[in-house]
Amino acid sequence: MAGAPSQLELFEHKPELTRLDGQDCPASFLVGKRFAFINGIPKLLGSQYPFHQAGQSGQWISDRLPHLERQIDNLCFIKSMRTDQFNHAPAQLLVQTGDARLGHPSLGSWVLYGLGTENQNLPGFIVLLSGGNSPDGGKQLWGSGFLPSVYQGVQCRSHGEPVLYLDNPGGVSRPLRRSMLDAIDEINRQTYSEFGNPETVTRIAQYEMCFRMQMDATDAMDIRKEPEEVRVSYGSKLGESSFANNCLVARRLAERGVRFIQLYHWGWDSHGSSANEALNIGFADRCREVDQPMAALLADLKTRGMMEDTLIVWGGEFGRTSMRENRGGQAMALIGRDHNPGAFTIWMAGGGIKPGITIGQTDEMGYEIVRDPVEIRDLHATILYILGFDHRKLNYVYQGLDQKVTGVKPARVVPQVLA
Amino acid sequence: MSFAVQRLSARVGFGLLTLVPILILLLLVLLAPPDGNERTEWLQFLGHFHPIAVHLPIAILILVPLVELAGRSRFFPQLLSSVDFLLGVATCGAIGAIALGWCLARSGGYSGSLVTQHMWGGLLVAVAAWLCWLLRGRSSESHLNRGYLTALIVTVTLVSFTGYRGGQLSQGENHLTEHMPERLRTLLGMQAFASVSSTSSNAGPATFYGARIQPIFSQHCIGCHGQAKHKANLRLDTYDRVMHGSKHGPVIKAGNPTGSEVFRRITLPPTDDDVMPAEHKPPLSPNEIKRIELWISAGASGTQSAESVQDVPADSGTSTAVAEITFEESDPAAVAQQRARLASAVLQLQQRFPSALDYQSRASADLVLDASLLGSNFGDNQLAALTPIRDQIVSADFSGTAITDASSPAIAAMKRLRTLRLAHTKITDAAVKTLVSLTQLESLNFFDTAITADALAPIGQLPKLRHLYLHDTKISPDTPMPEELRKKITF
Repeated sequence: MAGAPSQLELFEHKPELTRLDGQDCPASFLVGKRFAFINGIPKLLGSQYPFHQAGQSGQWISDRLPHLERQIDNLCFIKSMRTDQFNHAPAQLLVQTGDARLGHPSLGSWVLYGLGTENQNLPGFIVLLSGGNSPDGGKQLWGSGFLPSVYQGVQCRSHGEPVLYLDNPGGVSRPLRRSMLDAIDEINRQTYSEFGNPETVTRIAQYEMCFRMQMDATDAMDIRKEPEEVRVSYGSKLGESSFANNCLVARRLAERGVRFIQLYHWGWDSHGSSANEALNIGFADRCREVDQPMAALLADLKTRGMMEDTLIVWGGEFGRTSMRENRGGQAMALIGRDHNPGAFTIWMAGGGIKPGITIGQTDEMGYEIVRDPVEIRDLHATILYILGFDHRKLNYVYQGLDQKVTGVKPARVVPQVLA
Repeated sequence: MSFAVQRLSARVGFGLLTLVPILILLLLVLLAPPDGNERTEWLQFLGHFHPIAVHLPIAILILVPLVELAGRSRFFPQLLSSVDFLLGVATCGAIGAIALGWCLARSGGYSGSLVTQHMWGGLLVAVAAWLCWLLRGRSSESHLNRGYLTALIVTVTLVSFTGYRGGQLSQGENHLTEHMPERLRTLLGMQAFASVSSTSSNAGPATFYGARIQPIFSQHCIGCHGQAKHKANLRLDTYDRVMHGSKHGPVIKAGNPTGSEVFRRITLPPTDDDVMPAEHKPPLSPNEIKRIELWISAGASGTQSAESVQDVPADSGTSTAVAEITFEESDPAAVAQQRARLASAVLQLQQRFPSALDYQSRASADLVLDASLLGSNFGDNQLAALTPIRDQIVSADFSGTAITDASSPAIAAMKRLRTLRLAHTKITDAAVKTLVSLTQLESLNFFDTAITADALAPIGQLPKLRHLYLHDTKISPDTPMPEELRKKITF
């Protein structure tokens, strides 16, 4: 969820904050903190939507996600996530690559590097975008960094041809394409024997993959092959570029053995500076766009028995503040919150996850963590553990270091989330 | 002349004025040495200024020899006339620091050889500084008398010794060497630090005491009952010290928790004056108290193994806490050995069915089969080819393949299967009947198949089944079936 969805409007029920709505923010919230925009003394902002407990697990949820609510007993919330980045691009890089700077491989690349691909005819790491914009962190979010680029995520288009120019042009038959690729292959191999650059090997592999993808990729991405009732359950409409269609494609890819699939939905940066960034306007639209599809994806994976060996992780790059923004010292025209790296909420579901529980807790204003803080590197270690890795051992020698996705600071697997 | 007399009498006055408090302090130290007890707030309050106050006399006494040397050079002859003043200030400062030091030592729960040595060192520094002042006189001449020189050397030596002991008291006995780089350590012929500290405990990490009890003491108690500070003469930093007890006698009575002073103190209500940890430090958690109780009940042994004590609550403070995840080291040689018998068969099949067959993990010889990617290219004949490795397969996914009921005996022969997926296949009820032999099966998937309610009876016999997927089959939530089975089904 690119842009950081507000945990205080979705999963963090804070009646005390609602009671103090409109009062001046206490000075202790501001001292020593760095914000993207907050200036002067902003007003506290209570939740904009009513909360209630749902499911047998009795976890709190707002009225914005009525479909997801029916899946709440499958979800494991971590309400004590923490990051050290307060701007989108570096925070997204930190979440995706373990480092706020460019040049590190994304988690998907690490997983592909560690597990290898399962389906030879599709990329092992596929990325789909929706919401009208790319995430601020750019393509590095699924880049392979210092790993060989054969492990990078492949961004596919979510309508029309999934990968441009994959089909053979008119007059070019498949055998002709094959003989052409063989010739290119021969040249590439000569180049490799001469210079020994691993990127040449990547190039050879990419040509071969594309040739095989000509058969399979279009089929895997084609949601017209899904029965009508399945498409309806996702809220998917043919020909659209939407999160709903991407969720459905994601399930089809997972079925075909694609190891790592990422869906980015843009537009959660609810500062209150424009209608699309207002908690009561754009934010509500975003919730509608993702609620039904993600709930349908969970239900679909469950009925197909795929939930047992699929891990689903939902979240943004940081949280949002308990107060309004006061950008430039002025009260904002519309309702919104600034970035809060100090606390945010994610949820996980699926294989290896203990369903229907909440880990961690923030203070009664939802501003700072009071119990079980989870660092980004802890989340990475946990995800890797569930996928069968020891995060200390998944490494790659680069610039004289055994590089790891969790970096050099000690990371821990969060034991409470494990089933 | 009268001027000289006045100066002389001023010197005598100052000499006596400083000698008297030194003698008083000497008496105090002799009559009321530090005894490990804590006393009134005033003494403690004043005492805590000692570490601040000591630095003035130390700095000046180190400065004096420098001034004496520099004053004899061509550049700073004027310095020599200030030595008299410096020594006077240093003597006064030392007296003040000793007085505060006595307050701290007497009231803050100190006892033992460290503090005694530090205390006598401090007193001797004051005496030596006073002697320096006396022996040197006011002279600013370049001649040095031998008595003064000796006294000055003794003073500087005493300052170093006393300062080092003081550092040990406040920062631990190894405070200078504990972070010494290993290379330098070897160069100086010193023992590795780890082995130095481990000799202080005889109850190793494999014992219940070492693994579960000492960490509690180390976390909560040794700030006041440890190496540097041992209030009431009690130290809880090693097993021997714990069993030695305090100045009032043993604090642990083996087999009798309620009769043990340690246990009594940690279980008192927080408002009680005797409660430990004192001074509003965080109390021990119920689990930690329970562990100490179990340890004392079981004989308060230092050698009992960690596993031998039963019903031990978890390590951390809250009851919701879960053990941290640790990673087991795998043994590649042993794994290779386990795999050896079938290695060639596995390799052959891996080449025949690319990406469909793999080991469950690096540390395992068990196999995971995913034939779903082969789709209609995988049928009964292909499945039959898996016979040589059937005992190693723990998970099999035949979703969307062309297998039929004819394969059911081959699947039923995969006795170790825990997961079986038959979604989108032509499998029918007839095949299900043969699958009852899969006693290890935990998850069974019939999504989008033609199986009917007739299959439920044999499925119900699977002893370990936990998940059954029946979406898009002839079985619906309305189909009558035992409740126990229904709970396992996802429709």
